Amino acid sequence: MRVACVGFALAALAAGATRGGAQGLVPAAGLSIVSTRVRGTDELTGTVLGGQGTVALGRLEFALGYLQGKIGPEGGGARGQDLVEGVALLGVHPAAWLRIAAGPHVRSYMLTGGTQLRWVFWELRARASGAFVGSAGRGYVELWRALSASVNAPETFDHAQGGEAGMVVHLARAPVELRLGYRIDHAVLGGGTRVETVDGAVIGVGLSNR
Amino acid sequence: MRRSLTWIGLLVGGWSAAAAQGAAQAIVSPFAEGIRAYQNLDFDQAAALLRRDLARSSGSTATVSERAQGLVYLGAADLFRGRRDSAVAVFRRLVQLDPRYRPDRLVFPPEVTSVFDNVRVEARAVVLVAPADTEISTGSGAFSFWVVASAFQTVEVTLRYQDGAPFRALYAGPMGDSLRVQWDGLDAAGQMPPVSRVLLRVASRAPTGDLAGIVQLPLELRAVHVDTLPWPKPPADSLFRPERSGSRPALRALLGGALLATTVAALPSVVGGDRPSRSRLVVAGAVGFAGALGYVLHRPGRPLTANIQANKALRSRWQQAVAAVKAENVQRRDDVRLSIHAGEPTAIKPSAR
Repeated sequence: MRVACVGFALAALAAGATRGGAQGLVPAAGLSIVSTRVRGTDELTGTVLGGQGTVALGRLEFALGYLQGKIGPEGGGARGQDLVEGVALLGVHPAAWLRIAAGPHVRSYMLTGGTQLRWVFWELRARASGAFVGSAGRGYVELWRALSASVNAPETFDHAQGGEAGMVVHLARAPVELRLGYRIDHAVLGGGTRVETVDGAVIGVGLSNR
Repeated sequence: MRRSLTWIGLLVGGWSAAAAQGAAQAIVSPFAEGIRAYQNLDFDQAAALLRRDLARSSGSTATVSERAQGLVYLGAADLFRGRRDSAVAVFRRLVQLDPRYRPDRLVFPPEVTSVFDNVRVEARAVVLVAPADTEISTGSGAFSFWVVASAFQTVEVTLRYQDGAPFRALYAGPMGDSLRVQWDGLDAAGQMPPVSRVLLRVASRAPTGDLAGIVQLPLELRAVHVDTLPWPKPPADSLFRPERSGSRPALRALLGGALLATTVAALPSVVGGDRPSRSRLVVAGAVGFAGALGYVLHRPGRPLTANIQANKALRSRWQQAVAAVKAENVQRRDDVRLSIHAGEPTAIKPSAR
């Protein structure tokens, strides 16, 4: 119900924003290397590769992201297990420096015991960005909170939230941008009996005309 | 008797041919009565009426072509009255009035036209046809006028001061029907005439070299100086960009980097994760370093090359505009225009020896 309300509000905002700032489609895409650490019942680390893309139409933005790689016990010699993560967001820019988005975020990985844990979050995200080194260096901070979630664990879902902060450097006279950030997701199940934290550094390169 | 009948026959023929044209002309011409009397073969009456009307007429009451028409009828009437000398004198007046005038050979018999042609050749009359008002650039421009002659002759076209002293010869030589002459507004020394009134004189000479007649046209001269252009105003201060960086970008880089680095480092505390990885410190350090680097790159007082270039281009455009105006003003100061107003021409007959 909460997800439906947020989705409806975002859709209405997006429709108004599209009419108000009608422009051509502005695509952007990038690749990232994410050093990931998952700390829950197990502690798993690894480096995964990701790709993300956005298409903007006026103030409306649609974003997709995908990550895949191997993670395994820290310092262990065992072969890593798959970590797959995907996100789809529909967002609007009420102001040039602010984006509000919502959408599903799924994550799946294998625990050392062989159990595959699958998460599905419905998230509401807010992202603020602004130039701080001339016009080439922009900083950003994004926070999200899960409106609802489902996970194939015996504990009931309590809450989840996360964030990412970093900077994006646009190379002069080229539509290329470099990204360096730190992200963290934190989920709580069963009233705190089970906690899962996923964090890591993000190094990316992308193409953008914005 | 036979000769008189021939005359009468020719006159009647001429009258018949001109009947339609004459009917219309008689209504509007100031010499209608005399022409009608001529057409009725009452030459004495025609001569008296035409002489009276010609004496009354002036430039305002009759046009040149109307006066020429009155004169040709008067000359023909005098000729048919047996007063050839009087007819010749009338035709001479007609040639001097309009050297290009030719009697209609359908209206007037050969006896009339042949006398007229003889007078035209002997009279050697010229008229000057010049625009009433002209403005020229001295040296490069030209005041153009036409010399129209009744017959082939030798002419001398000169410009003279009011006392008659010549200061510029424009043409000397033979001419046929007409001659176009130009004056560049300067005297023989290449200077503007230092007077406000000069005379344009055309002297006709007989084949023997004797002066046959002079036509003078007074010209009123006035030097017209073209106004110079004002210099373009220098660009307003608001159009210039700052050429040195202020402190704001540097502080924004330093404080923004510090704030962002702190946010990265504190993000686990905000989100609630326990024992976060050290990678956040690496990222926070990089962001802080970027802010410090931005401070150095945007340090206060740093020359802003792009703005300096833009300001230089702005000043250069203004200086180019000033240079163009200066060049234009130099040209305008040198470009003295001469306004020429032509007066009424006068004919001077050489004194008989």
